[in-house]
Amino acid sequence: MSDQTPIAGEEEMAELSPDLRDEYEGRLLLAQRKDWEINEAVLRPMMETGPRFWIAVAVLGAIVAWGLYAWGYMVYYGLGAAGINRPVYWGLFIATFVFWVGISHAGTMISAVLRLLKADWRRPITRGAEAMTAFALMMAGLYPLIHLGRVWKFYWMIPYPNNRFMWPNFQSPLMWDMVAIFTYLIGSSLYLYLALIPDLAMARDHTKGWRYKLYRTFALGWRGTEGEWHKLHRALGIFSVVIIPVFLSVHSIVSWDFAVTIQPRWHSSIFAPYFVMGAVYSGLAALATILVVVRSGMRLQEFLRAEHFDALGKLVMVAGMGWIYLWFAGFIVEWYGKDPVIMELIHDEISGKLAPFFWLQMVANVLPVILLAFRKIRTNTKMLLALTLLVNVGMFTERVLIVVGNLQRNYLPFDWGSYRPTWVEVSIVAMTFAGFILLYLLFSRIVPYVPVWEIKEGRLRYSLRRIGRLLVPTAAEIE
Amino acid sequence: MADAPLLMSLFHKSTDTAEAIDALHELGVLDHKIKVITGVPYPERAIGRHVEWLRLPHIVLAGALAGFIFGLFLSVITPHLYRLDVGGHPAVGFPPAAVITFVFTMMATIVSTFLGVLWEMDFPEFGHKYYHKLVTDGHLAVLVEYPPSLEEKVRQIFEQHGGHHIQRPERQPL
Repeated sequence: MSDQTPIAGEEEMAELSPDLRDEYEGRLLLAQRKDWEINEAVLRPMMETGPRFWIAVAVLGAIVAWGLYAWGYMVYYGLGAAGINRPVYWGLFIATFVFWVGISHAGTMISAVLRLLKADWRRPITRGAEAMTAFALMMAGLYPLIHLGRVWKFYWMIPYPNNRFMWPNFQSPLMWDMVAIFTYLIGSSLYLYLALIPDLAMARDHTKGWRYKLYRTFALGWRGTEGEWHKLHRALGIFSVVIIPVFLSVHSIVSWDFAVTIQPRWHSSIFAPYFVMGAVYSGLAALATILVVVRSGMRLQEFLRAEHFDALGKLVMVAGMGWIYLWFAGFIVEWYGKDPVIMELIHDEISGKLAPFFWLQMVANVLPVILLAFRKIRTNTKMLLALTLLVNVGMFTERVLIVVGNLQRNYLPFDWGSYRPTWVEVSIVAMTFAGFILLYLLFSRIVPYVPVWEIKEGRLRYSLRRIGRLLVPTAAEIE
Repeated sequence: MADAPLLMSLFHKSTDTAEAIDALHELGVLDHKIKVITGVPYPERAIGRHVEWLRLPHIVLAGALAGFIFGLFLSVITPHLYRLDVGGHPAVGFPPAAVITFVFTMMATIVSTFLGVLWEMDFPEFGHKYYHKLVTDGHLAVLVEYPPSLEEKVRQIFEQHGGHHIQRPERQPL
């Protein structure tokens, strides 16, 4: 409705050749839409929940219930119900924990880093990415509790003066883990919520019944005065800066769980950047997977367009290149060192019993990097879905190889062994995957999935500017 | 904005809104008696408003400092209070202390940013406030408090600049 809403006036658009007009209409921030049309396009899919949605909720709920039963079984019978034992005392639980922490890294990458860089293509996908971060961290946070075995003793990790003289050992990386993940979860949840407030107010103004009550409560009385916008902008700017070191530190700290031990192949100074890069790679790939599914499931083609998948695909590709580089940088030093135990582990991976996992990991992580170099593949949602799923198959396998593969051999050959997960571990891992999808599904129907105000703000920035005989899109410096 | 008369007008265009606000200033309406409500974050200067000074950065810095001190207390002081001697290792090492202090500093910074911005915005603020629901559909609302003698002139300014839905605002439940 405002003067900035029609990005180019009808006269300018009429001047364009049909090809160029189509191209500009194909770009979200240039397309001719009214504000109320954007509101409606975001709110409509939230209200429509067909039978497929409820079937999915029921199936996922059943998997979660089964996983909770398995967890209860393990609590009752003890950690022996899991397949972990000496020397593989960390198994599928910790591998999946590392995987979920990795997945959580895309939200900050998209929201904070791209916000600071003023990359406008981020606008429709920030909320989906932030929600992914929060839910992935919730799943990750379950694993330390699960792995405790005696979960009811969790409070012993909380520092408070007590008469047992039990005080958390802050020299231990496991304590660093707890506080770092808790900090990242708090930070990413608050970041998600803060940017959501104006859209909750928009939803409040367009709904009735329980939704109205919910949105009204969480909108906190937002009206959209210039002061409120100014303060929100400033707070989001501070968040964007502060959350980046937290995001880097979390996976570094997770990597130090491994690297500060003297376990062969874990005791490496490259582990922190290698883990962070792997996390960004798997997180961005998971985000692309989710966006393709949500786009189709919620019919959000209006907001999630080829330009977004193209840009996201490029980011996945670059992160993949970084992962390959850091993997090789670690590998070549180990290989030149010729330490007997490390060489035993390397041979076991490349041509021994772990070879199928190793080669799956390499193909699944390298092939997408090559294929995503092509724009046609990046903008083909089916191909992008397949490739990004493949990346996460590769990254999950990589986590299993790091945790399980390397623990099977150490410097004392009498203490070598192998590991096979039990139904309890598989069920609990399945529970967290189902739980993540379930939370995400419910979130997408309760909360405006597309950040409406961010898109409207982005549209304020764009107009067509004449350069010679061309009318070209131009972004104004208003942020 | 309770006792003096109030008028609210909606606008389609930000340029018209800014010009109307300029005209209100020229009429003698004080800047703090004017409030602009929008569904999109227009830069303040784009609609003729001054940029408000915020206390938020100071709140964030104070939070960061508190987190730093708390982190230092946990990682440096408490290991001496609950001593755990392990194989000649020092009770406190720099790297673990650095990690813990860093993480608590960041946690407090994040929490203080969130609480600080809510405090600055006076949130949560439920109840009835002057508002128009068309704002989230792209209209810009200008709410003005003025001396009773200026009522006709204020209304004229709104009309001259393309204002619509010019009315005495109603408090709406938010």
